[in-house]
Amino acid sequence: MIKTNQLTKKYGDFTALNNINLSIAQGEIFCLLGANGAGKTTTINLLLNFIAPTSGTAFINDIDVNTHPLETKKQLAYIPENLMLYPTLSAAENLDYFTGISGKSMSKSDLENFLFEAGLQTEAFHKRVSAFSKGMRQKVGIAIALAKDAKVLLLDEPTSGLDPKASNEFGKLLQKLKDNGVATLMATHDIFRAKEIATHIGIMKDGELKHQFIADEIALSELEKLYLKTMYYSKTEVV
Amino acid sequence: MIRKIIVKESKEILRDGRFKIALGIVLVLLALAVFIGAKQYQNTQDQYREAENHERNMWLNQGEKNPHSAAHYGTYAFKPKYPLSLIDQGVDKYTGVSIYLEAHKRNEAQFSAASDQTGLSRFGDLTPDFILLFIVPLLIILIGYNSFTKEKENGTFSLLKSQGISGFKLSLGKWLATLLPIAVITALLFVLAAIILSTLKDFGNFHVATLLTLFLVYLLYYMVFTNLVLFVSYKAKNSGISLVVCLTLWIIACFVAPKTASNFADKKYPYPTRQEFATNVLKDKEAGLDGHNPFSKEAKRIEENLLKEHGVDSVEKLPFNFDGYIMQKGEEHEAEVYFKHYKVLKEQFYNQTKTYRTLAAISPFLPVRFLSMSLANTDYETHWSFADAAEKHRVAMQAVLNGDLVENSKTGDWDYLAQPELWEKIPAFSYEPPGLSENLRRNTGNLALLGIWFAITFSILFVVTKKI
Amino acid sequence: MLSYNFKYELKLLLRSKWIQILIVVLLALFLFAGYNGQQKVTKRIADIDAAQLEMKNADAIMLSLLDSIENGLSVNSVPYWRTPDQPTAAGNNYPRVAAMTPNALTFTAVGQSDLFTHYIKPTVTGEDFTLNFGELSSPVQLLFGSFDLAFVIIYLLPLIIIAFSYNILSYEKEHGSLKLLASEPISLFRWVLQKVVLRFFWIAVITILAIVVTLVVNQVSFPGNLSKILAFVGLTLSYILFWFTLAFLINLWLGSSAKNAVGLMGFWVILVLVAPAAVNQMVNALYPMPSRTRMVNEMRALKAASSKKQDAILASYLRDHPEYAQQDTAKYSYWHRYMASQKVLKQELEPLLNTYENQIKKQQEGISKLRIISPAIIMQESLSGIAGTSTLNYEDYRKQVVDFAGDWRDYFLPLLYRNETFTSGLVTGLPQFEYRERVKIPVLLNILLILSGGVLLSGLGLVLYQRNKARGNLISN
Repeated sequence: MIKTNQLTKKYGDFTALNNINLSIAQGEIFCLLGANGAGKTTTINLLLNFIAPTSGTAFINDIDVNTHPLETKKQLAYIPENLMLYPTLSAAENLDYFTGISGKSMSKSDLENFLFEAGLQTEAFHKRVSAFSKGMRQKVGIAIALAKDAKVLLLDEPTSGLDPKASNEFGKLLQKLKDNGVATLMATHDIFRAKEIATHIGIMKDGELKHQFIADEIALSELEKLYLKTMYYSKTEVV
Repeated sequence: MIRKIIVKESKEILRDGRFKIALGIVLVLLALAVFIGAKQYQNTQDQYREAENHERNMWLNQGEKNPHSAAHYGTYAFKPKYPLSLIDQGVDKYTGVSIYLEAHKRNEAQFSAASDQTGLSRFGDLTPDFILLFIVPLLIILIGYNSFTKEKENGTFSLLKSQGISGFKLSLGKWLATLLPIAVITALLFVLAAIILSTLKDFGNFHVATLLTLFLVYLLYYMVFTNLVLFVSYKAKNSGISLVVCLTLWIIACFVAPKTASNFADKKYPYPTRQEFATNVLKDKEAGLDGHNPFSKEAKRIEENLLKEHGVDSVEKLPFNFDGYIMQKGEEHEAEVYFKHYKVLKEQFYNQTKTYRTLAAISPFLPVRFLSMSLANTDYETHWSFADAAEKHRVAMQAVLNGDLVENSKTGDWDYLAQPELWEKIPAFSYEPPGLSENLRRNTGNLALLGIWFAITFSILFVVTKKI
Repeated sequence: MLSYNFKYELKLLLRSKWIQILIVVLLALFLFAGYNGQQKVTKRIADIDAAQLEMKNADAIMLSLLDSIENGLSVNSVPYWRTPDQPTAAGNNYPRVAAMTPNALTFTAVGQSDLFTHYIKPTVTGEDFTLNFGELSSPVQLLFGSFDLAFVIIYLLPLIIIAFSYNILSYEKEHGSLKLLASEPISLFRWVLQKVVLRFFWIAVITILAIVVTLVVNQVSFPGNLSKILAFVGLTLSYILFWFTLAFLINLWLGSSAKNAVGLMGFWVILVLVAPAAVNQMVNALYPMPSRTRMVNEMRALKAASSKKQDAILASYLRDHPEYAQQDTAKYSYWHRYMASQKVLKQELEPLLNTYENQIKKQQEGISKLRIISPAIIMQESLSGIAGTSTLNYEDYRKQVVDFAGDWRDYFLPLLYRNETFTSGLVTGLPQFEYRERVKIPVLLNILLILSGGVLLSGLGLVLYQRNKARGNLISN
C-alpha cells in the first residue's frame, strides 16, 4: 500500500507540493488528475525517492521511503511517461537485466511467462526493442512489475501517446493487477480513462490535492465539470 | 534573413557557459603565450646582438697573425631571430643558432634549444602557434558541433524548415556565426602581436603585409575546420556523436597526420647519421686535393703545371707563396665536397617536403603548419638558406685569407704575420631572410593545397545542406 | 548486480560493436606505432653495426701497417703523419665506436633518440666538450615527433577512454532508461561504478592484448625483459585507470552527454597538452640555460688566450707531472704542447660547461617534483625511461662516453709523453666501450602517484554524487 503523510516539497520559495495525504490500499487504483505542473510527477518522484521531501513522510507497505529507499524499491514497480529500454537488447533480455540487477535471477521460461502475462505478442519476445512501439515497451514495463511481484505500481502518464486500442489493453492489464491485490498510483491528464479504470480519483492543482473521491460515486460528466472548475478557479485566482 | 540567423546563433553561442569558459581559457593562454614569446624574443635578440658584436671584436682584435692561423681560429655566424617568430616559433627550437666558420670544414649549426631541454619539451610549448594551430580549431568544434544537432534535439529543426528558408542561407548563417568569434579572437592576437612588435627596439624586417598574409592563412584554415564541423553536425544523429566525430577529425588532422607523415618521410628518405655523413665527407676530401698535403697526387699535378707555366724549377722560385696557393685550391676542393654532400642532404629534405605535401591530402594542418612557419621565417628552408649563406661567407673568407698569404708571403715562410687591417677586409657576416613574395613563391604548393581543402569542404557542406 | 551488469554490459558492448571497434582500433594503433618505433631501432642498430664493421676493417689495416713498420718495411699507403706507430695517429685515426645500444623495449618510445646520436668515436686529441652528440635530423621531424607507442598510450588512449565512457550515465538519462533503472532497488552510485569498472576491465584486457601482440610481433623476449614489460603494462594500466576515474567523476557530474564530452576533453587538453608544456616552460624559466652564444664567446676568448701561452702551459704542466718530463726538451713535438694546453683548457672551461650540465640536471629535478601535476608527464618520463630514450639516459650515455674518452686518452698519453711508439702488442689492450643502462625509473612510485590522482578524483566523484542526490538532480532536472 501507498501512504503519504503531510508530504511537502519546496524549491526555495516555490512550493511544488503542499501537505499531501494519500492512502492507497491493496486492490485500489488511485488516479491523480491535474494540469502540467500540478505536482503529480513530484508526488511520484517523492515516492520513488528520486527527490527528498522538504517535510512529511511517504510509505510503501509501511516502510519509510526516505530512510529505506532500497527496501521500498524492492516492493514497487514504476513505469515512467516514456518508458525506454535498451534498444539493442531483446524484450526478454531487458526484462532479465532489470530484474537481474535487483537480485532476481530467472529462467528463460519464467521470462517468457511474464512477457506473455503482460500481453506482449510472443513473436516479439526475442526481438530487439529498438523497433517497439510505446505500447509494447510499456508491456515490457508491466512484465518487469510482474516479475518483481511488486505490490505497488507507480504510473506516470502511462496512456499519453498510446492509440485507443493500446490504451484499452493497458487499462485491462491494470485491472488484472488490481485483482491480484496491487496498489496503483497513476498520474494522468486523461479523465475519461481515469473514470474507467480508477477506484479512487484525486484532482491536484498548485501542489495541493483539491478533491478526492471514490470513482464509482461520481459520474463522468460531473467529474469533468469539477475538473474544469478547479482549473478555471485557480486561473481567475491568478488574475 | 542571414543576418537574423547570425544574430540568433551568436546569441546562443555567447549565452553558452562552456563557450565563455573556453574563451576565457583561450584568451588567458594567448596573452600568456604572447607575453612569454615577446620576452623570449627580446632576450634572444639581445644575446644575439651581444654575441655578434663580441665575435666581431674578437675577430678584428686578434692582432698580428698568420692568415691561415686566423682561418683556423675562424669566426661564428649567428642566426638572428625574426620578428614573426613571436607568432610562430616553427622549427627554431630544433635548429642550431650558431655556425662555426673555420678553415677546411663546413660545420653544422650547433646548440639547438631542444637539446638543452628535457624530454618534456617534446610536448610542445605554450606559444601563439600552438594556440593558433591546435587550440583554436578545438574552439571551432566547441562552437559548431551542435549547430545543427541542437536544432534536431530541441525539435526546432522541423519548425525552421517549415519557414521556407533555403538550406544555403541557413548554412551560411550558421557558418558565419561560427567563424565570427574565431575571426575576432585571431584578429585580436594579430593586432596584439603587431603592437608588441612595433614597440620592440629591434624592429627587424617586420612587415605588416606578412602579418596580414599570415592572418589570412589562419583564417582560411579555420574556414576549413568550420566547414568540416558544420558538415559533421549536420550529418550526426545527436550532439554527443557529433562532438566525438569532430574531435576524432581534430586528433587525426593535428596530431596523427603530422606524426605519421614524419615517420613516413623519415622511412622513405632517411638522413644519414652524423658519423656516416662525416665519414663520407672525409673519404671524398681525401680522394681529392688536400691543401696541407703537398705530396698528394693532385697537389703534385698542380705544382708541375705551375712550374711549367712560370718557367721555374722549384716552388720557392714562384712569384707567390705556393703554400697559400695550394691551400686555396684545397679549400675550393673541400668546399665542393661539402657542396656535394650537403646537396644530397638537401635532396632528402626536398623529398621529405614532397612527402609532407602528398600527405597534406589527409590533413589541412600540414600545409598551414608549413606556410605559417615559412612566413615567419622560422622554417627549415630558411635555416637551409642561412646555412648556405654562412658557407658562402666562409668560402669567401678563406679566399681572402689565402689570397693574402699567396700575395704577401714567400713559399715556406710560415712565420709570416698579416697586419690587423686584413681582418677588416672580411666583412661581418650578415644574412637577409627571404621576404614575403619569395616565401609565397616557395609555398605555392601549400597555398594550393589549403585552397583545395577549403574549396572541397565548402562545396560539400553547401551541397549537402542545400536540400534540407 | 555485478554478474548481470557484466553479462549485459558485454552484450551491449558487443551489439553496439564497441568491443570489436576497440580491438581493431587499439591493435591497429599499437601495431602501427610499434612498427614505426621498430623502424627507428632497426636503423639505429644497422648504423651501429656498420660503424663497428668499419672499425674492424680499420683495425685490420692498422694491424697490418703496424706489422710492416715493426718489421722495418716502408709504408706508402698512408702519409707519414698517419702511420699508426705514432700514439696520436693511432688514437685519432683508429678510434673505438662508443655505441649506445638499444634495449628490447626501445621501440616503444622514440623519446629523445631522434635528437641525439647513438655512437661516438672519441679520439685522443679531440675535445670532450666539442663532442657533438646531436644527430643529423630534419627539424621538421623533430617538431612533429613520432607516432610511437608512447604517443598512442599518452595521447590517444585517454581519448578512446573518453569516447568510450563519457556518457555512461547521461546516455541512460537522455535515452530515458534512467528512470526505470532508478526505480530498481539498487544504488545508482554502485551501478555507475560497476559500469565504469567493467568498461575499464574491457579496455584493460584489450590493451594488454594489444601490448602482448605488439611485443610478440616485435620479437621481444618475455622472460628476458620481464621487469621492463611489467613496468610498461603496470604504468599503462594505472594511466587507463586514472582516465576512467576521471570519466567516473564526470559521469557523476551529471551533465548532458555533450557537456560531459566537452568537460573530459577540457581535462585532456589541460593534462596532456597544456600542463607538460607549462611545466617545461616553468622549469626553463626557473633554471634557464645560460646563453649558448655567450658560451661560444667565452670559450673562444679562453682558447685564444691559451693558444698564446701553450709553451708556458706546457712548462707548468710538466711541473705538475714530472713523470712525463723528458731530458731532451727540443724533442717536444706539437702534440706534446697541444695535449698539455688541451688539458689546461679543459680545466678552465669545466666550470662554464658544468653550468649547462647542472642546469639540465636541475630542470630534470624540477620536472620530477612537478610531475604530479599531470599523469601525462609521469607517463612520458616513465615510458621513455623504460625505453632508455629519456633525457637522463642520454645524459648518462654522454657521461659514459666522456669517461671512455678519458680512458682512451690515458692509454695513449703516457706513450706520447715518453716518446714511445704504439705497437701491435698494445692493440689487444685498447680500452673497450660498453654502454650500460644505469638510469632507474621509480616505476612503483610513479604508478602510485598516478593512482593516487585517480583516488582523489573518485573521492571528489562521491562528494559530487552525494550533493546531486541531496538536491534531487539525479533523475529529474
